[in-house]
Amino acid sequence: MPAAAHPAAADIPAVEARGLARRYGDAQALRAASFTVAKGRFLTVLGPSGSGKSTLLRLIAGFERADAGDLRLFGRPVEAVPPHRRSVGMVFQRLALFPHMTAADNVAFPLRMRRWDARDIPARVERFLALVRLEGLGRRRPDELSGGQQQRVAIARALVFEPQLLLLDEPLASLDAKLREEMQLEFRRIQRELGVTTINVTHDQREALVMSDQVIVMEGGRILQDAAPETLWREPAHPFVAGFLGVGTFLEGVAADGPALDVAGRRLPGRTTAGAPAPRPGHPAQGALRAERVTLGPAGTLPPGSDAAVEAVVEDAIFEGDRILYELRLPGLGGARLRAIDADPGARARHAPGDRVAAGWARGDFLLFDASDRTGRLP
Amino acid sequence: MSDADGRSARGRAGPRPPLAAYPLGWRVLDALEAAAELWPRRWGGAVKWLMLLPALALVGLLLWGLGVMADASLRAMDFRTYRLAEEWSAANFAKAWGSAAFWATARRSLVAAVAVTAICLALALPYAYAMTRTRRPGLRRLLLIGLFLPFFIGQVVRAYGWLILLGQQGMVNQALGAAGLGPYRLLFEYPTVIFGLVQYMLPFAALMLAPALAAVPEEVERAAASCGASWPRTLWHVVIPMARPGLIAAALVVSTLTLTDFAMPAIMGGGGSDFLANLVYDQFFRTSDAGLGSAITLILTFLGTTVAAVLLTMAGIAAQGGRGRR
Ligand SMILES: Nc1ncnc2c1ncn2[C@@H]1O[C@H](COP(=O)(O)OP(=O)(O)OP(=O)(O)O)[C@@H](O)[C@H]1O
Ligand SMILES: [Mg+2]
Repeated sequence: MPAAAHPAAADIPAVEARGLARRYGDAQALRAASFTVAKGRFLTVLGPSGSGKSTLLRLIAGFERADAGDLRLFGRPVEAVPPHRRSVGMVFQRLALFPHMTAADNVAFPLRMRRWDARDIPARVERFLALVRLEGLGRRRPDELSGGQQQRVAIARALVFEPQLLLLDEPLASLDAKLREEMQLEFRRIQRELGVTTINVTHDQREALVMSDQVIVMEGGRILQDAAPETLWREPAHPFVAGFLGVGTFLEGVAADGPALDVAGRRLPGRTTAGAPAPRPGHPAQGALRAERVTLGPAGTLPPGSDAAVEAVVEDAIFEGDRILYELRLPGLGGARLRAIDADPGARARHAPGDRVAAGWARGDFLLFDASDRTGRLP
Repeated sequence: MSDADGRSARGRAGPRPPLAAYPLGWRVLDALEAAAELWPRRWGGAVKWLMLLPALALVGLLLWGLGVMADASLRAMDFRTYRLAEEWSAANFAKAWGSAAFWATARRSLVAAVAVTAICLALALPYAYAMTRTRRPGLRRLLLIGLFLPFFIGQVVRAYGWLILLGQQGMVNQALGAAGLGPYRLLFEYPTVIFGLVQYMLPFAALMLAPALAAVPEEVERAAASCGASWPRTLWHVVIPMARPGLIAAALVVSTLTLTDFAMPAIMGGGGSDFLANLVYDQFFRTSDAGLGSAITLILTFLGTTVAAVLLTMAGIAAQGGRGRR
């Protein structure tokens, strides 16, 4: 087997991108992307459709060239290295298995192309088919396998030659929710077992939080935040990040000292997040609030654990099994809307549409963002 | 007919939309559906045969012609009366079998079929690949025009064009002469015929390969690259196997058309590089030996069918490979 050129120094990052940019015609698919991934880590690139996630992977895999910027893999500039000479395994958005080969031949293909000793190949293929729990299915062709099984063949094929870097382009997107969750955990297990540096692309925030050591949030070709999952959840550096990570309500207003947000004459205390520029008092701002952090109580009271409360009218109460989602209107705040989730419906009073209630939240859960330049993004 | 018209008319006439609001094609289909209602249910099974009728009639006609040929091929020509013999014999086949000229011609046709097919596939593959893969719409359009333009120029016209270019006083020899070379005898040689046939068949091959190559997803090629396959290896191990049905179809068309070609050897071969079709022509219209002509025709048909059968068997194996064993 080829001696993988592992540089001795442990502090060289697996991936180091500086100012990567790429445009297609008049679409700027990637703008000045800079980030590093340490060896052995699991990075997820999270973003909506068309945000440039696949473009980023294509540049790392070497299928396309960057218009500008510098990319190093394991300390080596890879500008001039063609894809088949980069030690990068990839699972594609549409899997891209070889339909004319059996599952085992698909998995053996990278080994043959990389000139492994032919005598070692069958055993190794067996080992990797077992790793993805496909023992005994090696003789089947891709179209004789279920979607989830094809997925695993693609994973085995990407991993079998011990790539230094594994790229996953939404390989789980086409699976049903249950299988997806199973495969997420499976990925995590395999990644830990092999210790391969992995970059995963998804637009599923849950998947990003579950699987990763590090998450990059992208939008419109730009990196909005690069942080650990918990940081991302607690300290979103941009309203878009907050919105993408399940924040259901944004209240528009004017920033005030405290810090706080003035909405229709009410002063609502909140906090700024690390990494986001603090809103300047007197300038437009917005406050982000997660539905599950809103507590409802009888009208006129301050619900327990809350630092602020507003009067609300229940517009709709949606039963979601383990929780109830309330759609609220806030007459005191100029008719703004708010979502609240009661995650423990048995323990608290139910509210019916038309009920007047108090909606409260803790200061630390109300995240304030500058909105004076609505088109502007983070530097 | 504007949308607003349709809506207002519907308002007046109740829920039924006016027919005029729909495009002509829809109304034609409506009429066909109405006509189909008149067709008795019990005769439903006959419909598919009815649809096959034109094709069946055509094949039937061909078979009938072949039958007539088979009959003629078994009757020797009596050169005193110029009539075919009353009784059947294998004399015509024996004559062809014993003729060195027949064997030379048959070999020439077969070698040409194999060579032209191989050269055309080798040249058409990169052309069709470039056409289906290019990101530049301008280039794709150019390649498409280059592909279809030859179809507007008939085979005979093209052959004469080559005569003008390649003759003793032709443009090529003039250019060579200006460089102090030649003149060379470029026409009326076997390689010239092969060249002309390649030039004629290339668009057919590219046309048949293009959809097969377009059906190979670019992502699969990238997957091969990420597996460590260089581009030639990707082509060999992934693209060609996946495009195999298209390759077989192209080979089928090019090889059978070449095997039975008449015009190129007649015009560019100058009589010295005849194919079997030319031999058949000679029997019918020069020596007036309809019996021998029919016999050679049958042999040619048999050769063509054998080539097609071999290629289709390969296609069958390929299709099985593509869809798995069932
Ligand atoms: N080959 C191409 N030609 C033209 N535009 C392209 C091409 N590939 C991508 N784009 C454009 O670049 C932008 C980013 O595309 P990209 O494929 O990276 O998105 P993505 O984040 O992977 O989206 P998705 O989640 O839908 O896969 C999009 O606006 C897309 O239309
Ligand atoms: Mg994508």
